Amino acid sequence: MAAPELAQTDPEGIEGVRMTWHNWPKSKVEASKCVIPIAASIQPIRPHVELQTLPYAPLRCKTCSAVLNPFCRVDYTALIWICPFCFQRNNFPHHYHSLSQTNLPAELYPNFLSIEYSIPNNQNHPQNYAPQPSPPIYLFVLDTCMIEEELNFAKSALNRAIGMLPENAMVGFMSYGTQVQVHELGFSDMSKVYVFRGSKELSKDQVLEQLGLGVSGGRRAGQGIQKGGGGGPSPIAGVGPNSGINRFLLPASECEYTLNSLLDELATDQWPVAPGNRSLRCTGVALSVAAGLLGASMAGTGARIIALVGGPCTEGPGSIVSKDLSDPVRSHKDLDKDAAPFFRKAVHFYNEIGKQLVNQGHVLDVFASALDQVGIAEMKVAIERTGGLIVLAESFGHSVFKDSFKRIFEDGEQSLGLSFNGTLEINCSKDVKVQGIIGPCTSLEKKGPTVASTVIGQGNTTAWKMCGLDKSTCLTVFFDVSSSEKSDPAGMNPDLYIQFLTSYQSPDGQMRLRVTTVTRRWVDNTMGNEDLIQGFDQEVAAVVVARFVSYKMEIEEGFDATKWLDRNLIRLCSKFGDYRKDDPTSFMLNPCFSLFPQFMFNLRRSQFIQVFNNSPDETAYFRILLNRETISNAAVMIQPSLISYAFNALPGPALLDVQSIGPDRILLLDSYFSVVIFHGMTIAQWRNMGYQNEPEHLGFAHLLQAPQDDAQLIIRDRFPVPRLVVCDQHGSQARFLLAKLNPSATYNNAHEMMNAGSDVIFTDDVSLQVFIDHLQRLAVQAS
Amino acid sequence: MATPGGPRPRNFPPNYNPNALANNLQNLQVSQPNQQHSSNLGGNAPRPPNTTPFGQQPPSFAGSRPGPPPPGVFPRGPVPPSVQAQTTLPPNMVSTRPTGPPMGSQPPPPFASRPPPPGALPSSIGGHSALGSRPGPFSSSPLPSGPSAPSYTNTSGPVGNGPPAFASGMIQNGPRFPPGVGSMPRPAVGPPQSPTLLSSGPSSHPPQMRPGFGGLNSGASSTMGQPGPPFSGPPQNMPPPLGSMPFSAPVPGMLQSSGSPYGMQTWPPHPQQMVPPPPTAGPMQQQPMFGMPPPPPLPNQSMALSQTGQSKIDPNQIPRLAPSSTVILHETRQENQANPPPPATSDYIVKDTGNCSPRYMRCTINQIPCTVDLLSTSAMQLALLVQPLALSHPSEEPIQVVDFGESGPVRCSRCKGYINPFMKFIDQGRRFICNLCGFTDETPRDYHCNLGPDGRRRDAYERPELCRGTVEFVASKEYMVRDPMPAVFFFLIDVSMNAIQTGATAAACSAINQVIADLPDGPQTMVGIATFDSTVHFYSLKRALQQPLMLIVPDIQDVYTPLQSDVIVQLAECRQHLEILLESIPSMFQNNRTADSAFGAAVKAAFLSMKSTGGKLLVFQSVLPSVGIGSLSSREAEGRSNASAGEKEALKLLQPVDKTLKTMAIEFAEYQVCVDLFITTQTYVDIASLSVVPRTTGGQVYYYYPFSALCDSAKLYNDLRWNVTRPQGFEAVMRVRCSQGIQVQEYSGNFCKRIPTDVDLPAIDCDKTIMVSLKHDDKLQEGSECAFQCALLYTTVYGQRRIRVSTLSLSCTNTLSNMFRSADLDTQFACILKQAANEIPSAPPAQVRDQATNVCINILFAYRKFCATVSSNGQLILPEALRLLPLYALALLKSNGLRSDGRLDDRSFWINHVSPLPTPLVIPLVYPRMIAIHDLEEKASDDSVIPTTIPLLSENLTDEGIYLLENGEDCLIYVASSVDPNILQQMFGISSVEEISNQFILQQYDNSLSKKLNAIVNEIRRQRSSYLRLRLCRKGDSSGMLFFSYMVEDKTPSGLSYVEFLVHIHRLIQTKMA
Repeated sequence: MAAPELAQTDPEGIEGVRMTWHNWPKSKVEASKCVIPIAASIQPIRPHVELQTLPYAPLRCKTCSAVLNPFCRVDYTALIWICPFCFQRNNFPHHYHSLSQTNLPAELYPNFLSIEYSIPNNQNHPQNYAPQPSPPIYLFVLDTCMIEEELNFAKSALNRAIGMLPENAMVGFMSYGTQVQVHELGFSDMSKVYVFRGSKELSKDQVLEQLGLGVSGGRRAGQGIQKGGGGGPSPIAGVGPNSGINRFLLPASECEYTLNSLLDELATDQWPVAPGNRSLRCTGVALSVAAGLLGASMAGTGARIIALVGGPCTEGPGSIVSKDLSDPVRSHKDLDKDAAPFFRKAVHFYNEIGKQLVNQGHVLDVFASALDQVGIAEMKVAIERTGGLIVLAESFGHSVFKDSFKRIFEDGEQSLGLSFNGTLEINCSKDVKVQGIIGPCTSLEKKGPTVASTVIGQGNTTAWKMCGLDKSTCLTVFFDVSSSEKSDPAGMNPDLYIQFLTSYQSPDGQMRLRVTTVTRRWVDNTMGNEDLIQGFDQEVAAVVVARFVSYKMEIEEGFDATKWLDRNLIRLCSKFGDYRKDDPTSFMLNPCFSLFPQFMFNLRRSQFIQVFNNSPDETAYFRILLNRETISNAAVMIQPSLISYAFNALPGPALLDVQSIGPDRILLLDSYFSVVIFHGMTIAQWRNMGYQNEPEHLGFAHLLQAPQDDAQLIIRDRFPVPRLVVCDQHGSQARFLLAKLNPSATYNNAHEMMNAGSDVIFTDDVSLQVFIDHLQRLAVQAS
Repeated sequence: MATPGGPRPRNFPPNYNPNALANNLQNLQVSQPNQQHSSNLGGNAPRPPNTTPFGQQPPSFAGSRPGPPPPGVFPRGPVPPSVQAQTTLPPNMVSTRPTGPPMGSQPPPPFASRPPPPGALPSSIGGHSALGSRPGPFSSSPLPSGPSAPSYTNTSGPVGNGPPAFASGMIQNGPRFPPGVGSMPRPAVGPPQSPTLLSSGPSSHPPQMRPGFGGLNSGASSTMGQPGPPFSGPPQNMPPPLGSMPFSAPVPGMLQSSGSPYGMQTWPPHPQQMVPPPPTAGPMQQQPMFGMPPPPPLPNQSMALSQTGQSKIDPNQIPRLAPSSTVILHETRQENQANPPPPATSDYIVKDTGNCSPRYMRCTINQIPCTVDLLSTSAMQLALLVQPLALSHPSEEPIQVVDFGESGPVRCSRCKGYINPFMKFIDQGRRFICNLCGFTDETPRDYHCNLGPDGRRRDAYERPELCRGTVEFVASKEYMVRDPMPAVFFFLIDVSMNAIQTGATAAACSAINQVIADLPDGPQTMVGIATFDSTVHFYSLKRALQQPLMLIVPDIQDVYTPLQSDVIVQLAECRQHLEILLESIPSMFQNNRTADSAFGAAVKAAFLSMKSTGGKLLVFQSVLPSVGIGSLSSREAEGRSNASAGEKEALKLLQPVDKTLKTMAIEFAEYQVCVDLFITTQTYVDIASLSVVPRTTGGQVYYYYPFSALCDSAKLYNDLRWNVTRPQGFEAVMRVRCSQGIQVQEYSGNFCKRIPTDVDLPAIDCDKTIMVSLKHDDKLQEGSECAFQCALLYTTVYGQRRIRVSTLSLSCTNTLSNMFRSADLDTQFACILKQAANEIPSAPPAQVRDQATNVCINILFAYRKFCATVSSNGQLILPEALRLLPLYALALLKSNGLRSDGRLDDRSFWINHVSPLPTPLVIPLVYPRMIAIHDLEEKASDDSVIPTTIPLLSENLTDEGIYLLENGEDCLIYVASSVDPNILQQMFGISSVEEISNQFILQQYDNSLSKKLNAIVNEIRRQRSSYLRLRLCRKGDSSGMLFFSYMVEDKTPSGLSYVEFLVHIHRLIQTKMA
């Protein structure tokens, strides 16, 4: 199914909004009967060819501060517009005088449901923290507790990155191992480094003071010297609190040389590691010092901490495991049994760093490359709340890291469009309530009438902070319907409106405001499900369910995800399926729902639900990406796409089933985190014999090449860069494919299912067919 | 320094010979003419400025430089080359480059020339004559001269010393005699002198010589042997030194003598003579009490205090120091008996014949009382002053190193005493009896040797450990808990605003930069460097780096080391980086606006980085530590505003403010880190608190106040140089063992004590003395001997583990008079001084003063009561050996530490300075040496470099005179009001007294007067192993006041004059008697 999905053009459209239900049930009760929550997945700054950028400030409603949009009713003669959210009448200001039915400003064009305002910098917009475009800050934090080879990979990646930074970008550099070293780049006499001990937790003020950036430094100094020195000149008082930051952060153009030579000299951490112990690595303190350092930068300046982490934190606060190698890093089992002594404290520690960063409007990116876990599970919240990027790889020399890292700094087409200081506000029609958002953002706790009483994710607010966001950042907004049914006499207002206001600082430092206004219809499903069914977006629904269930797994102890999914799927099928009671064979699903059970089947088997196959770090990583990726990417994570290549057919989607394997086929599996090219046995033999090199077998060469090219296409657009696995049937790496396939053929039924050249999967998992059978049976039972 | 130092350390390694160090010393830099080329710094030997040809130096010195080490370049022979260069520079240069390198120095060519001062001996020796004798001598010598002399003599300083006889006629001769006389001023010289006198002139009449000085005289005579015929024979113990017996030859002869090995002696302690300077009428008048009337003849040791007291005292006759100019040859044992040592302040050469040299260990009494009662009756105290690594005289035999191989030195199995010449072998040598605990041990098989007919082992004379009082054993594995540590030198420099602006940082960096070249060579030597203000900055000196890397430790409440390695690196690997770094530090911090100083944190951080090895931490600190751990407050100001709180509060200011630094220091000591503190400041820095660190870790405090980059840079350099090049050891443990019946009561000095029996010394050097007080725990047998053994286990700078064992065996006595006769004045006084210093922070000043006075009175009283035969009530009777005790006691009362009007830091520094002070430096500290220098010309070159000394009485100063006064630390040059401008011009390059500024640098001008002055100063520096802080003083301002504050014999508003003090004492004794 993935293939058609891919082919589908731009389901998000200019709005960048997709909802589980296009038509909303009118009442809370009805909504809950729909099983799948009403939710919207939005990409707040999704680029679109038709997107207009207006060089002036938006008009806002006097009372609800919603922005003028195509759904406003406009009185051209009186030059008045009526806000669709609060029905307030607003006058157009003077410069809109020439407005007429034929002369509309862009924001009133009905096809510009999304529009962007570029806010002149001198203007003081309430949400605009930065009066001036300040260049973004990149603070690199490099772990040095690794073998030399790894360190060299990391250093060369940094070297390259620094060369790619815009000239005016401010750069800072820290390294850490047992201790944290903050490199003062602006000191010309010699290399200068501030060293912090890895074992001691420091507050932001302490960090600033110790770096000589504190305000309080002067105070204390004064007291000391005045008494002691007897008349020595007092310390110069005129120094502002931030004046010293330039010692640590310099424009890339000025410090490139310094940084490069510094990297040249940088060696692996020198502190001795006792045999049988892990390196002493103080990731926690390093991050808190980094956060503290950035705290000295001007408020509102976009900044990211780019941390390259090579292993678990073992020293000081934020440690995730003991130094002794014989203690393994916590597993899911340990977490379940509460047998991870470091976990809670570390989580709390990183959460605090996250909070601090959010307050400062800064981003934490983590690039972890290690064979062991590094503590992503603990850092997850800090990364996610700040909108940071995360890449988990096995080595700094691996393309997953190298290419991903490069992408951050790339310009132009490939650019991720990394933006800073985003704020999302949601205005909605009466009766629509916002429960919260799952995704890379933090609640700003801005209460309002549209805040729902139940909270999902970051809730209790109508505004969210996104310290870092990019083109593909995606948020899932959960809506609720007001419980007051009576207030809305039928037919009075069949439409509901939702407006998303995203202000952010674009990569070039400009402040932008993206306004997206969407409308949906209320439907009264007392008449039947037809409207609802037609308005169901099963792909979005699958992703939303996946995100929601992951969220519940994290916050609800002892939550049984599989059972929850099954129950909801059955409820859904019972409600929307077409069947005769108690007759499984009569069960039918509308095409709008038909793919959903399969999504659920794959979701149940996915890494999101079956966490025990992964480390907590991996799970955290997967979930962060699940929550922030676009719907189509997220769908691929849940249910990979499989394309088959063969001599006698065009490349085409294949069933995600073990039976798709054939000796004369090449399969290309995209499971988001990895892309697998799988050569059937015969193909592999041919290839090993080198037929592709012979001119008469050009066709074979093309056949071999085609999946490679397609894989590159996938890889090119994706961040993080997926791991590319090229394998042959029966090879050890084939497990990457087999794990994702429907086990229709297992050792239990091998003899009956096996067709020539196919494969079996050694598992006890049920196959899709069995799953569907059960589903039908249960769905038709009396509810 | 490289150049001059020819003999650098490398020589010694294998057999470390203490004398070698002397070599180091050589290079001390002494004053110089301005030389400094800044450019020069690098390493060439900037120092020696002298124009004077070095050639002249007596060759003998060159290699063997004797003991005292002055730091810098001392002109020793080799020096020469660079000199020229320097001289060329215009004097002004100096100013431009204040920080400059130390100055070059002049070589005092004449070392040799110094006549050996025998002086001191007499008194002590004399003692023996004791009772009976005392009256004799004195009485014999009439003091007649006293009175008569006065009028004339005084003018010429030198002359004064003489007995009146000279005075009368001779003055003019001045040049000739004076020198001669001066050198041998006091009685001590007795015998030799006479010849001199004779030859020199008519004037001499032997008898006179001494007459004046009652006590002294006697001393002299005694020295000789017997009182009676004083001059007749040389005392046995004073064997004429070598052939060169100084005295024999007339003045000129002296020079010759110089050829003799002893170029260097320690400074003769006793300031010269006693001259009675009766001279000027003016002054005289003022003190009517010293009546001119000739006092009755003094009995020997007794002072003629007439009953009525003062009026009877003739100031000219009262006991004063007798400078001796002769080198004494001292055998530590003769005729199987301990030989009482010469005065600590005299110049002597020791031959170790069984007992250790008195340089290493001396006892307050050279015969041990058999019982406690006897000891308490005498009122004297029993203590040892131990200076285990003391410098020896170049002519002395080096200490022998004995290697017992794997098994280690032979030791008593019970008390662990080390084998020594007094262990008695019995039973054909199969067993031996320990002289310390009396236990009988089996002789190890491979150490067995048959006994000879004399009952001694046949190999006794071949084995140093059986015939020498001091030997050094090679330590075997069992003496090492780890490999011997490398020689680690960590420099920690204050770069706070104040330090930068006063030039202290630059001075420190420049000094370090030059000193690096003098650090021991080889892989053993490791160096680290850090700077600090309100944070601590380390530097990674690893060679691979293109440039040093600065590592800042900002957490000054809770410090840590920023790197595990690379902060301390082998010197050989980082020399260049280090030089670059040191050159750039001052400019790097040029605009530093941080006024705070995190001293405590910096020291702690540096310690942490040295923790794994231990070593020396040299800290240059300029302001009161104001932040971080161990920060201090300006207590002084608080104390002042709080004056009403009274003495108790005031006392607290002399104690450390809290335990923080003490706790740190104990930890440092535990990890063998020794801290030396160089304080270059303009303000109060609370030395009372800071000094705890060096004190506890075996280090010391250097104090430059008020610091002047111009004047003090050279001293800073020389101090630092001496600090790192002098003989020293690391990770040392010391224990003193005593024979049964005596035990150690307490140790005191700069060290850390964790267990009562041992003293832990993270570092120990040749200048550190430890006082060991003893107590009886049993009776001793008369006629037996009581032994003391000091064992010091340490690591040399070359990484060898050694045990230096010094054994002193003294006879026991039941007779009080023997005790008095064998009392050691210098040692006793040193003990009194150190005890007083220890008391100061915890007792009110008045109480400390009373205590010190009482110690003195009690001793004199005991003597008076039990030993003196003379019954005249009116006489103050002084034991021969202790006759100067009252003078020293008086000087002590007037010293910086006991005066309550001084600055707090000055007092604290004094207290600290005294704590490890070696015996020979104790006396000059309280009773400085003063000489006249305006008439150097007249004295020509016919004498020792240093002219005769003048008693510290302001009457002795003339209006035309220029006087130099030094106490081993400071050197004041006082220019009186009507000095010949010509002399001023020649000496200081100024034309009038008014031009004297606070910032004084001694330069060498091209004239003989200036050269002589430089020679003198350099000689003093050499003797004191210290580059003196020079200051020019004139009457009428604070500098003059300072100078006059050293006139300890004067009457002052708060203190008695010497004569008054004697009277005072006498009265108290009389009261007691009654």
